[in-house]
Amino acid sequence: MADPLTLTTTPRGGHAVGIDVRGDLDHATAGELLEAATAVLGTAALRDLHLDCAGLGLCDSSGLAALLVIRRRAGEAGVRLHLDHRGAGLDRLLDLTGTLEHLTGDPAPPPGRTRDAEGVRGA
Amino acid sequence: MTRTWLSAPWPVLQVDAEGIISQANDAARSLLTGAAPGVPLDDAVPHWLARAAPGAVARGRVGESLFEAHPTVDGAGVLWWLMDVTERERVSEALRDERRRTAFLAEASNELLSSLNLDRCMEVTARLAARHLADAALVILPESGHRYPVAYCGPDGRVVRENLAVDPGQVPGLEEALRGFPPMPSRWIDPAAAPGWLAREGLGELGSVVVTALPGHGVPAGALVLLRRAVHAGFSAGEEVFTRLFAARAGAAISAACLYAEQASITEVLMRELLPPRTRRLDGVELAARYRPSGATALVGGDFYDLHPGAPGEESLVVLGDVCGKGLEAAVLTGKIRDTLHALLPVADDHQRLLSMLNQVLLTGERNTFVTLVLASVRRDGPRVRLRLTSAGHAPPVIVRAGGRVEETHTKGTLIGMLEAVTSVTDTVTLDPGDTCLLFTDGITEARGGPLGDELFGEQQLLEELEQCAGMPPEALTERVQMLASEWAGGGDQDDMAVIAITAPVEPRPASERSPAR
Repeated sequence: MADPLTLTTTPRGGHAVGIDVRGDLDHATAGELLEAATAVLGTAALRDLHLDCAGLGLCDSSGLAALLVIRRRAGEAGVRLHLDHRGAGLDRLLDLTGTLEHLTGDPAPPPGRTRDAEGVRGA
Repeated sequence: MTRTWLSAPWPVLQVDAEGIISQANDAARSLLTGAAPGVPLDDAVPHWLARAAPGAVARGRVGESLFEAHPTVDGAGVLWWLMDVTERERVSEALRDERRRTAFLAEASNELLSSLNLDRCMEVTARLAARHLADAALVILPESGHRYPVAYCGPDGRVVRENLAVDPGQVPGLEEALRGFPPMPSRWIDPAAAPGWLAREGLGELGSVVVTALPGHGVPAGALVLLRRAVHAGFSAGEEVFTRLFAARAGAAISAACLYAEQASITEVLMRELLPPRTRRLDGVELAARYRPSGATALVGGDFYDLHPGAPGEESLVVLGDVCGKGLEAAVLTGKIRDTLHALLPVADDHQRLLSMLNQVLLTGERNTFVTLVLASVRRDGPRVRLRLTSAGHAPPVIVRAGGRVEETHTKGTLIGMLEAVTSVTDTVTLDPGDTCLLFTDGITEARGGPLGDELFGEQQLLEELEQCAGMPPEALTERVQMLASEWAGGGDQDDMAVIAITAPVEPRPASERSPAR
């Protein structure tokens, strides 16, 4: 069963807001995150939006699409998006889809390396 | 002796033991003109009263009115007190009718709304109308393919479904009702003028025929024809109103069923669009593909694949993609991607360029969804097959060597349709005879289930399983992979699953003549 999504928005002093994301981000729930983040992005003088992913369960392609739309809207609003406390699953998805650097600013590993590192036979 | 009942405002008759009227008050005399002392009861009153036993209340008509006769017995005989109950009877009859109709409408609503099946809605409408409103009823829908879908229910309660090539112009008011011309709710027609397909055998002599429009959601849903036999031909004003109420419910249900059927057929058309292409063999290369749409919902899934065979000796392009999302939106996007890729075939020798151009096309849309895909350019080179593989945000293909080794391919790229710029790394792989390149969507690796019920099938496990599949023909390999993922998921929700196997033939002969791989 999919875990329901719980979102908790907390001001983090100054010009930052955090959204704690708990549960699965999928076709049924991605819209909620998009809505919550878009509402926060309307805040005056916001500079940083932190999505705390520590409690994030599964993230499917709809979840990823929501993150990418949030990233675009943040960019348009002059806000930096941070995906904090990412798990291995989310990192793998971002890496596979070539969106890791775009969403996090971290450079992506070259093709094949992550899988070799997991002990999968390579050529 | 003066009796007080003589001045009572209700008719009262006193009858002696011989059945002779001994007294009648004024009210009785004015109601029953022959009633006078000394006249036998038989000669003065209707039969039902003359024969009434003095122990019980009797009922019957006097002229147009309905009376109850209440007996009281005194020493001189029986006193019959006559009470006019016409009005009371009319009211309780109306109340009974009203209750019956309310119950019927509730039943009709329940039956009609419990189904979105058009045939069933027509049948229920015809059956209920024949049973409760008439002797026979016919539901006729607007023309479809030069015929009119008809459901007829006769007095026996059996419903017949037909598609009739008839002329509704033969029946006054029917053409208008079918076109939804408001608001002539019902129209009486001369039963003698009803054509044979309306006034069917077994009905006997018709007394009345009424055509009523079935109002739909903005579009005409059809018409209801009620047929009554001569014995109880008339429709009261109340019945006409009631028929309209029923027609409104039936029309709404039929209309909803039509819209649903239309929706279902749109989905079916879109699904057909997503079905695998027919070509199974490219130039000197064996190919197998399996697609299993998500079973969880009726939604069209987001996986698709395409084959674009090249000229002999040239590259062919195989595309496997996964559009984010489901349903109509995903299907429309899938169509757009496939058409664009087709148009971009001339630049297929440069995967990065092709993906960039596809990305630019998709960026002109909503930009809130994306596609991941794998491009495989396939070319026969003697006994070998040369592959150029490029992933755009998709799981990289896996190579299953004939000897049992399983290799990952080193291709990686950005998903398409959301970022301004996309990059990709293309991998080049050579298949020796018996080697297979496997392309798959995440419905395989992300099948959820297993012993704990909530584990991903996972790439690791797929790779391990594939080691056991070396040398399998592509058809068997794709079937095996899909079966493993389905078994893993058990009865749980499953995403779309698509698998393609591209295999270098062991011998350059047709598959049917080929010896086993090992």
